[in-house]
Amino acid sequence: MIKHYLKTAWRNLLRQGSSSFINIGGLSIGMAAAILIFLWVKNEFTFDNYHKDANQVYRVKNYLAINKNDTWVWETSPYLLGENAKQQIPEVLNMCRISPMGWGAQHFNIKGQFYAEEACAYVDSEWFNVFDYKFIHGNPSDFNQHPFSLILTESKSKKYFGNDDPVGRVIRMDTVDYQVRGVIKDNPVNSSFQFDVLIPLAARTSNPGNKKNDESWGNFNYLTFLKLVPSADPVKVAAKLKAIIARQRDEDNLQVGLIGLQDLRFENDLQQSVMQHSDKQVTYIFAALGILLLLIACINYVNLTTARAMLRAKEVSIKKIVGAEKRQLFIQFITEAVMISLLALLLTLCITQLALPLFNKFTEKNFTLSFTSPGLWLVIGGTLLVTILLTSIYPAVLLSSFKPLSVFRGVNILKVKNASLRKGLVVVQFSISIVLIVGTIVMYRQLQFINRQNTAYDRSQLMSFFVPYKILGKYEKDMRPQLTGSVKKELISETSIEDVSVLNQGSVINMDGFSSGDSNDWDGREKDFTPAIGFFYADTSFKKILNLEMKEGRWYETGNVSDKHNSILNETAVREFNIRKPVIGQRFVSQGDTGVIIGVVKDFFYKSLHEKIGPVVIRIENEYNSNFLVKTAPGKIIAATESAEKVWKKFFPAEPFSYKFLNEEFDKLYHADRKVSVLIWIFSGIAIFISCLGLFGLAAFTAERRVKEIGIRKILGAGVPNIVSLLSREFVYMVLLSMVIAFPVAWLAMNKWLQNFAYKINIAWWIFLVAAVIALAIALLTISYQAIKAAIANPVKSLRTE
Amino acid sequence: MLDLKGIYKWVNTGNNRTFILKDINLSVKEGEFVSIMGPSGSGKSTLLNIIGMLDEFNEGEYNFFHEPVHKLKEKQRSALYKQYIGFVFQAYHLIDELTVYENIETPLIYQDIKASERKAMVADILDRFNIVGKKDLFPTQLSGGQQQLVGIARALIAKPRLILADEPTGNLNSKQGEEIMGLFSELNKEGVAIIQVTHSEKNASYGSKVINLLDGRIQ
Repeated sequence: MIKHYLKTAWRNLLRQGSSSFINIGGLSIGMAAAILIFLWVKNEFTFDNYHKDANQVYRVKNYLAINKNDTWVWETSPYLLGENAKQQIPEVLNMCRISPMGWGAQHFNIKGQFYAEEACAYVDSEWFNVFDYKFIHGNPSDFNQHPFSLILTESKSKKYFGNDDPVGRVIRMDTVDYQVRGVIKDNPVNSSFQFDVLIPLAARTSNPGNKKNDESWGNFNYLTFLKLVPSADPVKVAAKLKAIIARQRDEDNLQVGLIGLQDLRFENDLQQSVMQHSDKQVTYIFAALGILLLLIACINYVNLTTARAMLRAKEVSIKKIVGAEKRQLFIQFITEAVMISLLALLLTLCITQLALPLFNKFTEKNFTLSFTSPGLWLVIGGTLLVTILLTSIYPAVLLSSFKPLSVFRGVNILKVKNASLRKGLVVVQFSISIVLIVGTIVMYRQLQFINRQNTAYDRSQLMSFFVPYKILGKYEKDMRPQLTGSVKKELISETSIEDVSVLNQGSVINMDGFSSGDSNDWDGREKDFTPAIGFFYADTSFKKILNLEMKEGRWYETGNVSDKHNSILNETAVREFNIRKPVIGQRFVSQGDTGVIIGVVKDFFYKSLHEKIGPVVIRIENEYNSNFLVKTAPGKIIAATESAEKVWKKFFPAEPFSYKFLNEEFDKLYHADRKVSVLIWIFSGIAIFISCLGLFGLAAFTAERRVKEIGIRKILGAGVPNIVSLLSREFVYMVLLSMVIAFPVAWLAMNKWLQNFAYKINIAWWIFLVAAVIALAIALLTISYQAIKAAIANPVKSLRTE
Repeated sequence: MLDLKGIYKWVNTGNNRTFILKDINLSVKEGEFVSIMGPSGSGKSTLLNIIGMLDEFNEGEYNFFHEPVHKLKEKQRSALYKQYIGFVFQAYHLIDELTVYENIETPLIYQDIKASERKAMVADILDRFNIVGKKDLFPTQLSGGQQQLVGIARALIAKPRLILADEPTGNLNSKQGEEIMGLFSELNKEGVAIIQVTHSEKNASYGSKVINLLDGRIQ
């Protein structure tokens, strides 16, 4: 019986060539997109769950109230907290710490060759007991016994040492040799710890200065993980942790919390983090989009199948008359849908496999379709099940329910109800597509807006680099400005370099250094008002390079010694601090140094547009200034980097030179936003494509069904345009209805998205107009092929066939 | 075999009730060959469909092999006609996606007959109708007469006691028509009852009894 069903289904498939192609092709594209999305979503929701006892592992989290309004949340804790916790809190089974190494890349010296390595971290000896790693070479105990050891991931080991076992090989960092003690399998994609190089914490604390620094309870440098007994209450443990820290602190402004290992991925309240986090809401949205794409694709199947019901009706009726029961026919159509879904699945797997490299590049992950992994089958099976459920039941019910005689009598089986259901489904498809079109436009506009906001200077012309503290720290404090000054002078003397500024902040794109407290003071400040202020210690060139505009007062002058104690504020600072009028000349104490306000600059962007511009104080020169901001001469970018390197080598011959351009930094800052916008773009493309496939099939069917009517109309004198508009009208109405549904949804969704930005565009009415025109144009183009084909057909032929 | 008593069928159009069949009383015995004649719209096909249980009537009683059809549920009715009745149509109504062999086999599939048995039965009938050579062709590759032959073979495969034929020669030329009618009378001699709807006096003459319908009434 099944064989019989499959045979019929297969022949039907072949006979309805284009329609089958649309069915299977559309379904496959939708399923492929859904499978990729679900792979990603599944990955997000299974972060860090592969460690043994993952649900017993927590990370300490500190909440530091810096003033009555602001609390800073840190993922790091004091070094000694972990040990104390292990000794004093009975619920703590084990403890381990990790501290990422320094700012920027580490420079590996392997036989004289330098390599920059970003993802290095110190871990303590319990790290490999708490977390699961698979060792390919070496073992943790060797690593723990020797402070100057290294553990590499498999791919890094391949990069540096090829396929050899690297254990025992030496990598030099600065002046210290580290021996490779082990190679671990690459970190799983769903691991929060994406460190490629691990070094024993003992290597760091072997330096007495570091040890002293770390053991101060005021320094929060370590991510501390605690493994608790299964019955432990994390809230109670956190209270005990707080008690431990509180004993060491004078101020009572610190709260301690614990976050579960598997919740790390979605942690979103941290000031900054060394780990990649993601937004739970975004993950849900993508999961929903995956389902929507699948839904759109399934709607095609249902639509085309029911539209073609007329053609199948004869078969169904005959089968009923020769004795088929409804149940048997129902099973036949279910079988058919399952067969189509399975065929689509085959094609889907091909598409997925082909798209995977692109998808990996895009997500910066390394997903594989390993057909032995149960997780993958879960995703595929789930997708297939949804597809089969969506595509089989309704058509099967409809098709098996004909009254046999009505077909032969020529009664239209497809009652109004069915037609309106089909139309409804098309409306759903187009509504989703239109929402996505609007989304694409709004996101594109917002990203353009961000680009436009920050154009006081040309980012692609500005490069930056810094002198590491390990070099600068060797100089006496008052000698440092001299050193940086002479570097600056040397740089400016190059023709390819226009100007140079030396400042304290590593970034003017995403500045993250703030300070607060009583050391900042001005007349009229309320005692407990200690806002977080962004401090720039710069020089006279700073204004010119960033093209800052003065609102009032003046900028720093070369050679004016008294300026050393003075401050320049931005507009926001003046407003938020409630500086008394006249602003210029007011007393202002910044970081304990009393001077006056000599100028006010207009607000400028120095961090992500997701955040509001905050109060900024610009001061002049400081012995900690070690960041160089270099403006290259127009058209001489390459020459400028070469000159800068030449100068660097002259001053710091032993240190590798690394720099970045501000536009790269800027792109990185909005990396996630751009990814989302590209994804939405791709989604809307797929959604529109699939919807159009469906519309195309449906238009073909309509033209076929009305072929007699069209013939008669033509004989009565209708021209091609009349016929085309007759056939298109119905579809245009559907698209119009979709807009009515889609626009409010799109508006709400995009408004919500824009809430993420402190500076944002308004959603203009014309965006909807553009979306409307695009949707209509695409729909009309799709339909017109069928409509014109029907309209130019010879009526005599179509009528003869009746 | 079957017995119709006071059968009425009507449709309501607006406020008017249009009668399609009026007070039909008819009984057919096993092995009879009945022809129903009458002009277009006289209700011939409707009557045939009611006999075949494909259509319903509004009033009256219908007993088929002592089963009161008017009291049966749809499922029981279809089980009944599946067992006893074979249908032959003017437009053949073969399934285009299936070969000759598979078309003939279809009723057996729905009667849950085993594959080996089905094979033997279909082979028998192909042989008998001299269409063994055409068994792998699709209906569209056959002439009208051949298609109708397949249609009859399909109607006979499940060994029905009654064949209902709605203008079986209507789409055929006269030579093909004669062959088909010859086949019917042969079947009739073997004991299968036949009820046919026809326009042709000549075709009606193959039968043992003629019923004339006019405006839904037996004349």
